[in-house]
Amino acid sequence: MTTSPTLRELTADLRARLAAVRAGGAGGSESARTKHTERGKLLVRERVERLLDPGSPFLEFSPLAADGVYDFEAGSAGIVTGIGRVSGRLCVIIANDATVKGGTYYPMTVKKHLRAQTISAQNNLPAIALVDSGGGFLPMQDEIFPDREHFGRIFFNQANASARGIPQIAAVMGSCTAGGAYIPAMSDETVIVRNQGTIFLGGPPLVKAATGEVVTAEELGGGDVHARTSGVADHLAEDDAHALDILREIVATFPQRAGGVPTPWDTEPVEEPLLDPETLYDVVPTDTRQPYDVREVIRRIVDGSRFQEFKKLYGETLVCGFAHIHGHPVGIVANNGILFSESSLKGAHFIELCNQRRIPLLFLQNITGFMVGKEYENRGIARDGAKLVTAVACSTVPKFTVVIGGSFGAGNYGMCGRAYDPRFLWMWPNARISVMGGEQAASVLATVKRDGIEASGHEWSADEEEAFKDPIRAMYDEQGSAYYSTARLWDDGVIDPADTRRVLGIALEAASHAPVEAPSYGVFRM
Amino acid sequence: MDTLLIANRGEIARRVIRTARARGIRTIAIFTEADRHAIHVDEADLAVQVSGYLDIASIVAAATDNAEGLSTGIHPGYGFLSENADFARAVGSAGLIWVGPQPEVIDAMGRKDKARAIAEAAGVPVVPSATVTTGSTSEITFPVLVKAAAGGGGKGMRVVRDAADLQAAQEAAAREAAKAFGDDTLLIEKYVERGRHIEVQVFGDARGNVVHLFERDCSTQRRHQKVLEEAPAPTLTAAQRDDITTAAVALAQQVGYRGAGTVEFLLDDATGEAYFLEMNTRLQVEHPVTEEIIRVRGERLDLVALQLRIAAGEPLGFTQDDVTTTGHAIEARVYAEDAWGGFLPQAGVASFVRWPGQNPGFNASEPGSRRAKTRVSAVRVDHALESGQVVGTGFDPMLGKVIATGADREEARRNLVAALDDTVILGLTTNTGFLRQLAASDAFRDAAIDTAWLDRTELTRPDDTNARLAAGWAAQRADAAQQPSALCPDGWRDGGPAAPVVRHGLTVPTRDPHLPAYVRLGVDRDEVVVEGERFVLEHPGADRDHAVTAGGDVLAPMPGTVLAVRVAPGDQVAQGDVLGVIEAMKMELSLTAPFDGTVTEVAATPGDQVVLGALLFEVVGAESTA
Repeated sequence: MTTSPTLRELTADLRARLAAVRAGGAGGSESARTKHTERGKLLVRERVERLLDPGSPFLEFSPLAADGVYDFEAGSAGIVTGIGRVSGRLCVIIANDATVKGGTYYPMTVKKHLRAQTISAQNNLPAIALVDSGGGFLPMQDEIFPDREHFGRIFFNQANASARGIPQIAAVMGSCTAGGAYIPAMSDETVIVRNQGTIFLGGPPLVKAATGEVVTAEELGGGDVHARTSGVADHLAEDDAHALDILREIVATFPQRAGGVPTPWDTEPVEEPLLDPETLYDVVPTDTRQPYDVREVIRRIVDGSRFQEFKKLYGETLVCGFAHIHGHPVGIVANNGILFSESSLKGAHFIELCNQRRIPLLFLQNITGFMVGKEYENRGIARDGAKLVTAVACSTVPKFTVVIGGSFGAGNYGMCGRAYDPRFLWMWPNARISVMGGEQAASVLATVKRDGIEASGHEWSADEEEAFKDPIRAMYDEQGSAYYSTARLWDDGVIDPADTRRVLGIALEAASHAPVEAPSYGVFRM
Repeated sequence: MDTLLIANRGEIARRVIRTARARGIRTIAIFTEADRHAIHVDEADLAVQVSGYLDIASIVAAATDNAEGLSTGIHPGYGFLSENADFARAVGSAGLIWVGPQPEVIDAMGRKDKARAIAEAAGVPVVPSATVTTGSTSEITFPVLVKAAAGGGGKGMRVVRDAADLQAAQEAAAREAAKAFGDDTLLIEKYVERGRHIEVQVFGDARGNVVHLFERDCSTQRRHQKVLEEAPAPTLTAAQRDDITTAAVALAQQVGYRGAGTVEFLLDDATGEAYFLEMNTRLQVEHPVTEEIIRVRGERLDLVALQLRIAAGEPLGFTQDDVTTTGHAIEARVYAEDAWGGFLPQAGVASFVRWPGQNPGFNASEPGSRRAKTRVSAVRVDHALESGQVVGTGFDPMLGKVIATGADREEARRNLVAALDDTVILGLTTNTGFLRQLAASDAFRDAAIDTAWLDRTELTRPDDTNARLAAGWAAQRADAAQQPSALCPDGWRDGGPAAPVVRHGLTVPTRDPHLPAYVRLGVDRDEVVVEGERFVLEHPGADRDHAVTAGGDVLAPMPGTVLAVRVAPGDQVAQGDVLGVIEAMKMELSLTAPFDGTVTEVAATPGDQVVLGALLFEVVGAESTA
């Protein structure tokens, strides 16, 4: 048996993957990038860099999205999204990459755009769209157009976010065709780049097909047309850099915090952890079966390595306690083994405390599941697990989830998986996610099959069983990887463990822009 | 003397007030409307508004009206009325004490021809001269200097290098002199190509005692304007010094000189000979360098105090033998002028001023800075500029003087460079950076600067790299202090190397670059002073917003009447050139060229009534989308 790669090696692999998608400033081929820049346009990542304040951190969402999902190079799903500071305000940036399929929206592009809008809406952060898109990716129209979470949702979200006082602004830096035209049109304030940006519901080919009219893109919906005649755009920019400068000046007119929401919790002076986060590589084993004390992780993430533990002596497989990250208070819920009834009850109790005190929750997920077996089922572990799930589901404080190891089965639910609406969810490169482990799944399916075979009076050899189990194991192995997850946007990105503290710090800053409602819970089954 | 009116403004008014106050004399300042908030007005015991600093009647009245029955003096400072004999007489006639020499001496020395005659009579060497009539130029050795006998300030002065040009130069100089001084008498003197400006400070009392306080070298000049002045003169031999100071005293004695005066000489580099130039019958701007090095029986001497004592009839109180010098002093004149742009006078609000050696008193809103390097004990600043003060163009643009001292010239020079490094004036362009560069130059270090050096040597404005780095660093620090730690402006990127932090076009260093700079961060722009030089760094902005035009069609912006058409088809126009004017809604609107190009169509005729959006002109240029 080969030894599994270390966390340090896995992280090096992650950084190489990230460097690869970010290389060249955009996701497209070299010829696509050259064609783009030859037109005087900045590449998508250059646009984002220029828009950000000098030195602003940028927390990118799911840079490895769509990787390996399609039969084409889908570079970050053709859209760069993330949080950064613009004119002093924390904003969500959504920027099309025209070098990838002309910036058109294929399913992951839509999903990633919607996810960025959700982050903007949940955290009350202004949304800035840098539009350069040919609209929907026509070959996959059935997967992007008709459903609730499809293309149309983008504009629904824009309208509703604007209604809530969350600024929506856009710069049209390339084509903005068909449905894409509504992104600037639905924005509060719009910039268009002269001789570059175009906005029209139907492009010249469609116009010719529909009415026979022959018209150039610039005449149909260029910058001058929209800034001077149609009024679709509010500002006319000479080039990309100018458009970004105008955007920055627009953002400077926003209130410091959208809607004037006060910080929902008090912050403390920041202290670095006593233990260097880089030493995480040395203390976390990558084999999910190998136990270790999750407090080793907590100490390397929290301010001053200080962690005030709750119910330390009870339900010891779930570690709960209070700490600060970059000055923000957090209640940490971290797996330290399988979930039992006691640990579930402890978790539910602690989550209620955090909600009552308006303290954000951080889930450090490394869970193979709830304990199974007659004794535990008979004592009603499902009832206690349900209490934990209820507490998580009904929490009103911001929740953040980092999958630092396994995320299997109902443990994923109790520990605030994607379905439980954490404000953000990240994976470490060693993380695994599936309904159960590959080995267990193979065994369960093999048992069912063996029962069927044997019931019909046939025999099933051990070799045959292994041959049956192998592809199942392989499938779970592939689908359980952090990269399979992040490619499908089940998370907000795979992060370097040493970045966890900073990532959480930025996320907490973002979350502090939105108010926290009073909690109310469903029935806790007693 | 109980009361002293200072008929001046700026640093010299403050200088005189300082001494008067130390001697228990009440002070009266005068001021004009523009100077209502000037420092000297605030510092004097009483301030009287006058119509102008040259208005003799109202200045004399300001003294007589406010000091009835008191013994009152008038100190004229320098410039303005300081060498106006009529003023001196008016002061005397009003029963006031004139702090200055006798009016007739002022008159005599004010005329170059008379002064020259006096000097010759006193045995003082003068520049060889010629009186020429047309056609007899053969005896003259060129080049010569043609100058107005009554003149000053370079007016009516012409250098002539060739006999053929002499007549024209004479005519032109005479015209100028007549216009400026009402007297077209000219002098023609040998023109010294390379020389040093040496001047001797003299004092005489009513009893006929005259002493000199050694010399100053003011050779660093630009267009006859002194820039750096020092004492003692660095290139004089003992014999030359002896000759010059003796000559100066002889001259003063010749006229029975009373009070402070300066005898100016031109020391010819080629021959080593010193020629009398003129005598200034007042206290000089550069008197501090003398004060800094002169000792009378080992004690410092306050030249203003000595002026006051002599004016009050007291004797000098010491003899030449009591006078010694110690160390070296150099003065730099800080002007509100653009040294890199033709020395044009500058005006504006000095939003922040810190003279060297002053307590920083910094707070968050004030410029971030390095630690001051000035040796406080070796620097004196005579100035009249504080933060927030308005500098206009109505008066001489001198803001102050930075005087550095040292045991020897090199030490003084280094102290001056350090002091200029610590001179911070924001909001206004000054020559501080130019002075600093000059003081630090090899030429000045080697005392190789003659009076024409600056007029033939081009100094270049220092490059702004350090300014941009310093501003970037300061902005970075300010930003970091303001941001929550998770949003620290360190260019953090998830899972990758940090992005370079670029401010003002340069990557901000990660460690303090320890630049010799003062920075004030602003909303739209940052201001930086590096080695005295002020840089204004604009933030990138969207100013170009809406600047672009649709094309070359210039349309009527409102319905109205065409008033004027200024171009015809085929005309070349530059962006912003007025093509025509229309009148609409009682406003006259200029129609301008949207970019550089050629007018291809003129559809407007004066008197036409045009509708909104009517095509009036068409311009085709490189940028046209047509």
